[in-house]
Amino acid sequence: MARVAREMVEKAGIKVEELLDLLVRNAAAELTTYYYYTILRVNLVGLEGESLKEIAEDARIEDRNHFEALVPRIYELGGKLPEDMKEFHDLAGCPPAKLPADPTDIKAMLEVLLKAEQCAVRQYTTICNMTAGKDHRTYDLALAILHEEIEHEAWFSEFLGEGPSGHFKRSRVGESPYVSKFLHP
Amino acid sequence: MKGVYTVQEREIDLEELRRHDGLRGPAYVAYAGKVYDVSGSFLWQKGNHQGLHRAGRDLTVELEKAPHDADFLERFPVVGRLKKTK
Ligand code: HEM
Repeated sequence: MARVAREMVEKAGIKVEELLDLLVRNAAAELTTYYYYTILRVNLVGLEGESLKEIAEDARIEDRNHFEALVPRIYELGGKLPEDMKEFHDLAGCPPAKLPADPTDIKAMLEVLLKAEQCAVRQYTTICNMTAGKDHRTYDLALAILHEEIEHEAWFSEFLGEGPSGHFKRSRVGESPYVSKFLHP
Repeated sequence: MKGVYTVQEREIDLEELRRHDGLRGPAYVAYAGKVYDVSGSFLWQKGNHQGLHRAGRDLTVELEKAPHDADFLERFPVVGRLKKTK
């Protein structure tokens, strides 16, 4: 734990235990999404599926990066991950992004991917609102993750015919242009 | 028809609502006068929502600060109307 760092956050009026609970729920959502996206990606086959595979893979690796970036902040603030992974899974702040009943239904696949990203956008907006001007480090991290989640949402909604997303693919797989500063190579 | 009413018309008072906290059975949430059964939700396990809210309560005011609208509640069955307190 970083004692003074936590004290500063408390003094700024943040309920640290509440914030930690949300951070753990989001770390769980990222890791479970990484897992479920692995299954989705494997099933993105055929002419339509292949065209989605690349962005699904970017989103998958970036979500894992988000998990990696969140964990140190949880421990700095005096929190921890549950010892039991089953408990961790059930704490996730977003529902499991499960493979649709018909994996050849690409629209259904896209909807699962889109819903997962939209849930994440809601979650990091909540954390940004909670920490803005009070807990600068968590805010900076949550904002970096939010940038990437919004781009993921935009990619998938483009495929669902919601118009241009304004984004181009990553220069390398799972680049994490915003979150990379929190990761160690 | 006398004596016949739909589930949505059934009145649920605060005491009954409070008992349905998701810890010992179903998880009910009241919003804008309606009582919803959210037991089937992954995000309301043990009556806990995001570590911020508990089932068994009237969360009408709390929803204003949520990052989503009330339409999320509409996915769940309505089990009655919240009885007005004087
Ligand atoms: C600040 C407080 C809250 C936060 C941070 C929050 C967060 C969330 C998030 C992230 C989701 C998933 C959204 C998605 O899938 O895109 C969700 C779903 C939901 N929330 Fe909230 N929420 C809050 C307050 C509330 C309140 C007060 C109620 C009830 C009155 C409520 C009822 C629901 C319901 C019923 C769902 C749908 C669950 C499902 O589909 O399984 N939330 N919430």
